[in-house]
Amino acid sequence: MSIFWKMIKVSLRVNFGISVLKYRFTREKKKLWEPILIGISALLGLGFFTAMSTLIMIVLYKGASQPQVGSPELVLTFAFLAGQLVIFFFGIFYIISSFYFSKDMNILVPLPLKPYHILGSKFVVVMVNEYLTLIPFLIPAIIIYGCGTSQGIVYWLKALLLFITSPAIPLIIAALFDVVIMRFINLRKSRDLLAIIGGLFGLFLALGINFLAQSIPKNAGMNTLTSFAADKAHIIESIGKNFPPSIWATFSLSKNGFAGIGYLLLFIGVAIVLFLLLLKLADLVFFKAVLAGQESIKKKKAMSREKREALYSQSSSTVRAIFKREWKLLFRTPVFAMNCLAGMLVGPIFAVMPMLAKNSNMKFLTDIISNKANAMPASLAALGLMLFSASMNMVSSTSVSREGNMFWISKLIPVSAEEQIKGKLIHSILITLIGVIVTGVVLILMFHLSFIRVLVIMILGIIGTVPMSIYGLLIDLSHPKLVWTNPQEAVKSNLNGILGMAASLLIIGILAVVSILIVTSHFQDWFCYLAIGVIMVVISIPGYYGLINTAKRKYFTIEV
Amino acid sequence: MIEISNISKSYSKGEIKAVDNLSLKVNRGEIFGFLGPNGAGKTTTIKMIVGLLNPDQGSITVNGLDIRHQMLQAKKCMGYAPDNPDVYEKLTGIEYLNFIADVYDVPLKERRERMEYFLDMFGLTDAAPDLIKSYSHGMKQKIVLTGALIHNPELWILDEPMVGLDPKSAFQLKELMRKHCDNGNTVFFSTHIMEVAEKLCDRIGIINKGKLVAIGTLDELKKKEHAESLENIFLELTE
Ligand SMILES: Nc1ncnc2c1ncn2[C@@H]1O[C@H](COP(=O)(O)OP(=O)(O)OP(=O)(O)O)[C@@H](O)[C@H]1O
Ligand SMILES: [Mg+2]
Repeated sequence: MSIFWKMIKVSLRVNFGISVLKYRFTREKKKLWEPILIGISALLGLGFFTAMSTLIMIVLYKGASQPQVGSPELVLTFAFLAGQLVIFFFGIFYIISSFYFSKDMNILVPLPLKPYHILGSKFVVVMVNEYLTLIPFLIPAIIIYGCGTSQGIVYWLKALLLFITSPAIPLIIAALFDVVIMRFINLRKSRDLLAIIGGLFGLFLALGINFLAQSIPKNAGMNTLTSFAADKAHIIESIGKNFPPSIWATFSLSKNGFAGIGYLLLFIGVAIVLFLLLLKLADLVFFKAVLAGQESIKKKKAMSREKREALYSQSSSTVRAIFKREWKLLFRTPVFAMNCLAGMLVGPIFAVMPMLAKNSNMKFLTDIISNKANAMPASLAALGLMLFSASMNMVSSTSVSREGNMFWISKLIPVSAEEQIKGKLIHSILITLIGVIVTGVVLILMFHLSFIRVLVIMILGIIGTVPMSIYGLLIDLSHPKLVWTNPQEAVKSNLNGILGMAASLLIIGILAVVSILIVTSHFQDWFCYLAIGVIMVVISIPGYYGLINTAKRKYFTIEV
Repeated sequence: MIEISNISKSYSKGEIKAVDNLSLKVNRGEIFGFLGPNGAGKTTTIKMIVGLLNPDQGSITVNGLDIRHQMLQAKKCMGYAPDNPDVYEKLTGIEYLNFIADVYDVPLKERRERMEYFLDMFGLTDAAPDLIKSYSHGMKQKIVLTGALIHNPELWILDEPMVGLDPKSAFQLKELMRKHCDNGNTVFFSTHIMEVAEKLCDRIGIINKGKLVAIGTLDELKKKEHAESLENIFLELTE
């Protein structure tokens, strides 16, 4: 057991960087502000969430105390339920990354440790981290209920114990889930995919919360709010029934005497039993899964000759071959794909926000937009949003940089700089089009624009991606960042990416100014559209020649 | 086949002179071994021949084509394998070879034949549909080598091609090089292995501190330097 405790201690130290902090505070006094700043912002963030949640809990408490509901303890059920669900969902990702993908596994596995030492200590670290997540959920509810119903000292003691043990059950369930999954599926292969799923999950959660927030009546007094909460109270009750631990936790706090203690023991007991089960399972399958995770994926069977021959293929042109290479490399390198695609979700999200909004301000806005009389400015705004969404990507402005130390291949192959750049340009335009089209479709679904207008702004949007891609590529070609070890550096810390976005925004700005001038001069609509299209083309032409000339002059002189 | 005249190359804004006024001729149909101590400038010279680095001065022609002015034609008749196999890890072996064959404009039938041939010879047939990421160092080297030879170039330029290959693959590569030259083609390669150079090369060039210090057939070198073995010659000339 003593090894176990030492492991936990070491893991916690590593996790919270205690040694690093100590070193900073005692030796290297200059970088002190860094951890302090981080600490302050963490506290502010936590404080913000706690304050938000306190408000909600107060409303809920009042609502649940209304005579027609009459069960104020629902605030506790809600808090435990929400907290534990959040912990469960994030726990799935957190635990996989901590158990299976952390770098120290390579050090720990060869040491003479039992699987449960490793897994157990890692689990404890995750659990301690989760207390921070739980604070905004549990503390306000416990205090509100405790003070509201004037509880005694036993209540607060029980609450303390519950707080300490409550991450356990959802986390263990998440861990059991992960351990079993990892035994059968080699997720390391899809490690990057996992990161993406995690990110998307966070996004959806944010959207969901936003949606919920929108559905709460705005500008209403406390009374409407409490009756709203009272209406919804039964939902909490019925969800809670499906996740009994939240009910046990509630009863252990709301019931007095032995009943309360009994539920408390039940809650803690189940956590302990599950924890032991997890450790046992760890002994059985954990190492196998971790070791399986170390292997890279190989096809099991040898391929049949026919099948393999089908893989030999020929592209119709070199530009196409370059394009295909760019396409595969972008989508198979998650950091690249994320950085080049995620930004383009901005437009659709912006567009969806008002749709989720049921309140009057937003309604007012959508009314304006949907009004026939405003069709012209609305369509231009839509075009602007489409182009803005398309500008939020680095696909063209990191196109050369992304090759990194593989750039020698591009220099070696007997393909002219012009053709190589064309392949890259077509690739950038097509990827950028995704942003335009996705935003366009969302906007069309929302705004009631006529078919002709939709067609026109779609075409303009498509043309608009051309100058943006050209100038992005020109920027990257002029100063490619080819020296990097981690693909992250090629996109995230690449100035060209930012410059490319700035250039795109500048183009959009020019178009916006011109559009405003034209619209306010009361020209015919078709003239405005035509003018915008012409300007896009006019902007593109010098860029294109500049790009091709720079490529001819510079491409093969770039030395890695 | 290769004519290098008076090329120089400096790194770090002239601080390191890697190749210093080097001239050298490689004849058609010969295997030319390029020797020299670490940092002598072999890789730098090779990279200039294949167009990865631009000489500060001097000129290079390959097959009579100036690599600066007739770059694309010159490139088409060369196949180059670098000393370290940095390739697209996110492509599969086959995809990589297809890409290279595409850009060198190799017809489908020929690329199929050559891929089958090289992949089989190097024992990569089963690994070919996997991502290059999953390859060992030697496997990567073999896939790069296959890529370099897939368009059946007249001139092979190989930078330390044996390093990292297992004995069988190294043997096969040597056989390939021999066969290639017997068909009237040319191989230019750098190496640190004296026996390989002794046995395989028709002519040998030794470079030290960016300057060519000896060039000729093994016998010519032995006679000139009054030495028994290539090793002795090498040690003497590169002190
Ligand atoms: N990218 C670079 N930047 C700066 N200096 C370099 C660079 N590449 C090579 N050099 C320098 O140029 C000189 C020649 O290097 P080169 O790689 O051509 O040697 P080499 O003969 O291939 O050596 P080895 O046998 O170790 O491969 C060395 O002094 C080296 O330090
Ligand atoms: Mg070298």
